Amino acid sequence: MRGRYLSVKRKNDRQAYLFVMPYVLYFLAFVAYPLIFSIVLMFNRWNIVTPMEWIGIRNFVRMIHDPLFFKSLGNTIIFLLIHIPLQVVVALGLAILLNAKLKFRFFFRAVYFMPVVVSGVVVTILWQQLYSFDYGILNNILSSIGLPRIPWLVDAAYAMPSIAIMATWKNVGIYIVLFLVGLQNIPAELYEAASLDGASKAKKFFHVTLPMLNPTIIAIVILSTIGGFSLFIEPYVLTGGGPMQSTLSTMLYIYNQAFYFDHMGYAATLGIVFAIIILTVVGIQRRVIEAET
Amino acid sequence: MELRHAQKFFQVFLVAVLAGCGSRQETANPSSGTIELTYWPAPNIQEIQLADSLVHVWNRTHPAIHIRMQPIPVSQSTEEVLLAAIAGKTTPDICSNIWPGALHDYTQSGGLIPLDTFPDFDSVASARVPAELLKTFRSADGHCFQFPWKSNPVMMFYNKRLFREAGVDSAPRTYSEFLRDAQKVTRDTNGDGQTDIWMGERDIRPIWWQRLFDFYPFYIAASGGKTLFTANAVTYGDESAVKVFDFFQKCYSYGYFPRTFFQGGDPFLLEKKATHFAGPWEVATIEKYAPGLEFGVAPLPVPDDHQGPVYTTGDFKNISIFSTTTHPREAWEFVKFLVTAEHDLLLLEICNQIPVRGDLETNPLFASYFHRNPLMTKFAQQAPYTRGMDAVPDLKEIFDAISQEYEICAVYDRKSPAEAIRDAVDRTRSIVEWNQ
Amino acid sequence: MTGKMIRYMFLLAGLLVFGYPFVWMIVGSFKPELEIPNLKLWSSLMTFNSYRQVFTKIPIARAFLNSVLVSFTVTSCVVVLGSMVGYALAKLRFAGKGILYILILFTMMIPFQITLIPQYVLMVKLGWTDTYLSLIVPSMMSGLSIILFRQFFMGIPQALIDAARIDGCSEFQILIRLIWPLSVPVIITVAILTFMASWNDVLWPLIVVRDRSLMTMPQLVTIFVIGGESESQLGSLLAAATLLALPVILAYAFFQRYFIESMSSSGIKG
Repeated sequence: MRGRYLSVKRKNDRQAYLFVMPYVLYFLAFVAYPLIFSIVLMFNRWNIVTPMEWIGIRNFVRMIHDPLFFKSLGNTIIFLLIHIPLQVVVALGLAILLNAKLKFRFFFRAVYFMPVVVSGVVVTILWQQLYSFDYGILNNILSSIGLPRIPWLVDAAYAMPSIAIMATWKNVGIYIVLFLVGLQNIPAELYEAASLDGASKAKKFFHVTLPMLNPTIIAIVILSTIGGFSLFIEPYVLTGGGPMQSTLSTMLYIYNQAFYFDHMGYAATLGIVFAIIILTVVGIQRRVIEAET
Repeated sequence: MELRHAQKFFQVFLVAVLAGCGSRQETANPSSGTIELTYWPAPNIQEIQLADSLVHVWNRTHPAIHIRMQPIPVSQSTEEVLLAAIAGKTTPDICSNIWPGALHDYTQSGGLIPLDTFPDFDSVASARVPAELLKTFRSADGHCFQFPWKSNPVMMFYNKRLFREAGVDSAPRTYSEFLRDAQKVTRDTNGDGQTDIWMGERDIRPIWWQRLFDFYPFYIAASGGKTLFTANAVTYGDESAVKVFDFFQKCYSYGYFPRTFFQGGDPFLLEKKATHFAGPWEVATIEKYAPGLEFGVAPLPVPDDHQGPVYTTGDFKNISIFSTTTHPREAWEFVKFLVTAEHDLLLLEICNQIPVRGDLETNPLFASYFHRNPLMTKFAQQAPYTRGMDAVPDLKEIFDAISQEYEICAVYDRKSPAEAIRDAVDRTRSIVEWNQ
Repeated sequence: MTGKMIRYMFLLAGLLVFGYPFVWMIVGSFKPELEIPNLKLWSSLMTFNSYRQVFTKIPIARAFLNSVLVSFTVTSCVVVLGSMVGYALAKLRFAGKGILYILILFTMMIPFQITLIPQYVLMVKLGWTDTYLSLIVPSMMSGLSIILFRQFFMGIPQALIDAARIDGCSEFQILIRLIWPLSVPVIITVAILTFMASWNDVLWPLIVVRDRSLMTMPQLVTIFVIGGESESQLGSLLAAATLLALPVILAYAFFQRYFIESMSSSGIKG
């Protein structure tokens, strides 16, 4: 019996290696190699066509003196400052509204979720028409009730906020669902206990609901932050980074440097620096939100 | 056992690969002794048609040298295709869609042959091209890697009817005249509070190549023929550049140019704007899509105190021979064939594009063509007074820097022209430094 | 007004906000050009003109097929290969198991910004640009799918597996005949997540594919919007967008529940 068990165990191991081999190969080719190559690229100047040229830390020096590097970071911060709160408030609000025995509940949820599944390109085309200054639906509505037309995408002060609103519209569906799940998981006893203590509706919300939803809120903040740094197709199609570089996202900037101007080394440097920034910011966010609640 | 099989396989594989490489380089057909050259024209219908005819004639009259024509794939830019070909050593022998702005990229990796090493280069080139213009096509090292072929001088198209209705009787020649006429032309014609006719319109997005149709030609005109660089130094940060920025800033801030994207078609064809800066290709476009449009062609406006002829950009396309060729002499013969007077006439007839020749107005061969196409005469007259692009690296990025400043200063009026030019030049200098 | 009515009002407002733009888009793709910017959901002159323009200007049908091919292949690979690794991590013993798990978590944390350029360079070096390989292979495995599979498989009773082993089944047979049938929920989740991500991906195709005949659907529509071919005809832009959205909306209409549950479960994991 024991001999049989041992031989079964050994067969396990060998077959296991076969099972994980695809991933190991994949990891080496598409994760390890790119990472190492990326680090090498950081210290070189390269446009793919001509041989690589070692330039030491010149890419970093260039980055520190590059106003567009800071501008793209600033733009991303503006985006996040509008997108994240808006997302949380709208998603939570609609989730609370939906969290009751309603007719058509699933229908509402399905429609709110629809923008999530469609391609970002569809959303961008749609909003390009909504936001158009002269012909857009939004401005048509505004001018028909006597309000001035808003330069959504053509004014540097309005452009990034407009994209932030659009991004919220696209993603809020997932977070409504997440909040719904979170709300339904709050044990009823907590509310009963609070009522017994004489808590008002508002108190219940802030002292029971919000803390219990903490994990969901963290998830939203972190996912939205990563999304904000990866923002690409929206500015690429809508504004090309303008007006006056106000919608130049970090991803778009990397894309331009690499594929428009052929500065592979500099683009790789930007990529690594932005990645470190993302990880740092997300790490800090996690600590802060956990500490707050 | 396995090792031997592997070795054998490897040997066979190696031979197959080498044989494959060998046959690619071989351009002489052993059975008939003819030399075969590959020629890439530009991927548009008219030029392919022209190339077809020319190659046909050549192959008939030169049985020992056979030219094979291959059009460049349409979905990519020629520059991308050529760069990839240079990197992969799959270049043709000759290409006639060489954009001077990319010349530096092509020559940097040794992709092109210096044409001035051919003994008859000087005589052929100077017989065709005015000396002053020919100089501008040389690279920094003094060699000439491109043979000037055709140009599309950017000039001002204007809508005669819109001018007439606004009380403007001739095309404006200076900035002041332009702005004065703009005031008359730009107006609301149907009383809905929105401007319906504009003096001009430009895409307000800071796309780098858009500057090739506003800032760059205007700067060349205003500066009397200067390009961005002189002897490899950044020299465009001068009075003329500031005047150009100032001109466009006024056009936008006085409301003569719209500050929004135009949707719903081409505004010049729809007769919504009175002036349009373009090259001779626009003539064919207008005749096709807006046959009733009455239009004229004039040189670009210049600053009020301008003296001398009005220059502009030439948007040249030239011919080059690639260094992978195994028969440079024969390739050069074909290049000379492409640029004879008779074939330049075909270029005019079939493609409506201006050959880079000094004798367009004097040579009787072209007289009939210009008689039938009087508007093209304007372009022919402008042709000697054109400039191309500087053969420097990162031209795209430099124009992008200029576009950003143009956007901030001219379109959105947030910087003074002097400041904007200064910042553009600073950025250009750092781009140049980066490449050292 | 009762609380319930107020609730419905807000929810209906939400319906308008999230649903109306789609309706407007679909209707607009059928309207004549001049009537598109108005809010009316009907026009007396409905026409297929915009669609005709789209079909003649860009190879949209081909792009649709490309997207189907790529997304389907990627999804199959991710499910098969991912479940293999997930199973090994969950139920098999081998050296380096712990390291592998940490490695996978690590790769999930790496932002795309770092790997984008080098992966592109790899495609160039391998000569895979402008081929289906570059669209499929880099997405063939997904750390998230492996984690999801592992999580799920760990919940499968060990006794079942041991019984199969004693019967002499190879691990492969166990995976295919025993595990997969038991894992339909997680397979559906992974399949939907992977398919959606692959279908909607635009950045990567834009970088590695320039040949029109190989472009994926969202990529082709993006090029259509940015390039001049639409000639600023609103109708054809909306038609292209509708065509792009249609397959997804149809799939969503039928499998809505699965979509919502899959895509939100990945959010929780995050």
